[in-house]
Order: sequence, then C-alpha cells, then structure tokens
Amino acid sequence: MSKPLGDVVKADEGEVFDIELEENILRANQKIADENRDLLRKHGVTAIDIMGSIGAGKTSLIEKLVELLKNRYRIAAFKGDLTTTIDAEMIRRHGVEVVAINTGKECHLDANLIKKAVQRLDLNSLDLLLIENVGNLICPAEFPLGSEKRIVVVSVTEGPYMIVKHPFIFMDAQVVAINKVDLATAMGVELNKLKNDVAEVNPKTEVVFTNCRTGEGVQEVVEALGL
Amino acid sequence: MHEGSITTQIVESISREATRRKAKKVTEVKLTIGELTFLNPEQVKFWYEVLTKDTIMAGSKLIVEEGKGKVRCLKCSYEGSFKYIEDTVLYTPMPTLQCPKCNSSVEIIGGKDCVIRSIKMII
Repeated sequence: MSKPLGDVVKADEGEVFDIELEENILRANQKIADENRDLLRKHGVTAIDIMGSIGAGKTSLIEKLVELLKNRYRIAAFKGDLTTTIDAEMIRRHGVEVVAINTGKECHLDANLIKKAVQRLDLNSLDLLLIENVGNLICPAEFPLGSEKRIVVVSVTEGPYMIVKHPFIFMDAQVVAINKVDLATAMGVELNKLKNDVAEVNPKTEVVFTNCRTGEGVQEVVEALGL
Repeated sequence: MHEGSITTQIVESISREATRRKAKKVTEVKLTIGELTFLNPEQVKFWYEVLTKDTIMAGSKLIVEEGKGKVRCLKCSYEGSFKYIEDTVLYTPMPTLQCPKCNSSVEIIGGKDCVIRSIKMII
C-alpha cells in the first residue's frame, strides 16, 4: 500500500458552500408533455389543444368539428372543467368517446392530467384527440400538454381588447378562432381590429372568423389546423 | 399565477439538495424567473418566506433575477429581445413575435424558464 497523502483538504465545520444547481422548475410539466406527444405520435393520433376564455365557444367549436370530421377520423375528446360533466355530455351526444377531466380547483389542464386521461383511451382505434382546456386565457399557456397544435377561441362578446390584454397565450397558438361574429355589430367590436391584434402579437397565427352555433367558418378552422 | 405550487417545488428542491449535502442551514438562494412565465417575483418571495418557516431555510435570502425574453428571427437571424408595441391604450408595452429588425416571424428561445441557479448553505 502506498504512503498516505497526508492532509486532505476538507470543509471546516460551519463553512459556507455556494452550490450551483441550475435546476429548471418548470421542466417537469414539459417533460411529461413531451412523453404524451411521443406516445400519441407513435399511435398516429393527432392531438389539438383548444384554449380560450369561459363562454368563448370552445365546446361549440368541438361539437361542430366532430360533426364535420367524424366520418374521416376516429375522434375522442377530453373535456377539462373544474367540476361537472355537462359539457362532456354535450360532446358525447355526437357519438364520440369523451373523457371528462375535472381539475377540482385548478384553472388549467396540465400534462400529467392528460397522461392519466390518455390511459383511458384505446389509442390504436383513434386518429384525432380534441382536448378542451379549462376556460382561461392565462394559465393554460404555461402548461403545454403534448398536443400537435393549439387553437385559441375568443369571442366578440368578450370585448375589443381580449387579445392585447392577453398576448402570451396567442404566442403559443397556431390558429385563432374569433367566434360569435354574428354579434360583432351589436357588441360594437370591429372584427378586423381583432384579427390585426392577433397578427401583431403572432404574425404566424392563422385567424378564422366563426359562428360555432351555425357552423360558419368551422371548415376554415379544419383547414387552418391542417386536418 | 401559480406561485404557491411552484414555490413549493422550489423549496422541495432546495431541501433535497441541502439534505443530500447534510447542510445545517441554507443562507441564500438565487433564482431566475423568465419574463414569459406567469410567475410574479413578489408572490414567489412571499410564498418562500411562508414555506421555509421552521425549516433550515428559514430567514435565508431569496435573490430573484428576471430572465429576459429572447427571440430569434428565422429570416434575418436577429437574436435578442422582443419587439414591443407601445400604445396609449396598452399602458404596458405589448411583446410581439415580430422581428424588431425585419418584422418577420420570430421564435422564442428564452424567458420561459424558472431556474434555481445556486444555493448557499452552511455544512
């Protein structure tokens, strides 16, 4: 055995250490979102995340999308809400499988909830997954779910400043549906001003005018989503 | 918006690291909060104080730096801060995904993270 090296440099009792950590706290959700995306892709399932405020028309859009697409794709939907399955039932009536996700008190869906909901589905008998997020224009932007595309639904009844007041969620969207166009005049909202606001925040986003009650513009949403 | 739950995760991470290194006390934590996160630094500091009470982190200094939002232009290769639109209606300048140089689309390359940079602890 070789001779001992003598004194080894050691920390003194009570010494202050400055430890570099570089730990990204928000990475946890992103990691699960990436896993969700990989799993869905492996089974050939395209997931669309539908975001927007409460009452903007997200559920109505899904109902119309299902009607337009159910003969071309095998569709399922996730319906995120704090409580109740009222909207989930509305979508289920169109003959597609719906998983209701109740967040309890959380104001958004997160990747972990999607992971759990995906386990309820038979991915081999599915082509398209429509995920309706909780009605909110703020928090869902912070929590990617693993979808291929994100669409934001805003409606003219929310007033003329919805987009400039919430620019961040539009940075994350590939498509924006400006809904309830039939009420624009009554609300005194200029549709082209809203469209221009989206273009200013995110020039790459496609804007579609819709009336999800009648189905007006929903075919254009389908095209904008590349479906 | 989710400062309570995010700060809980931050405190858990620090606690894990401190336990692993058998620390007696944590004295300082450096945190970067991205401009594009929905985390309000004042709220994070408030929660930090509440959540570290009666732990070895109690009384430690939380230093929060803002991680500036950063974009890259796909057309002219500009890299840097956002183009903001200033308007009397807006009060707070609105960040956009337009290139400040050529107005083309940009992609976000920074400002979405919340990172624990370093921890000072007494061992």
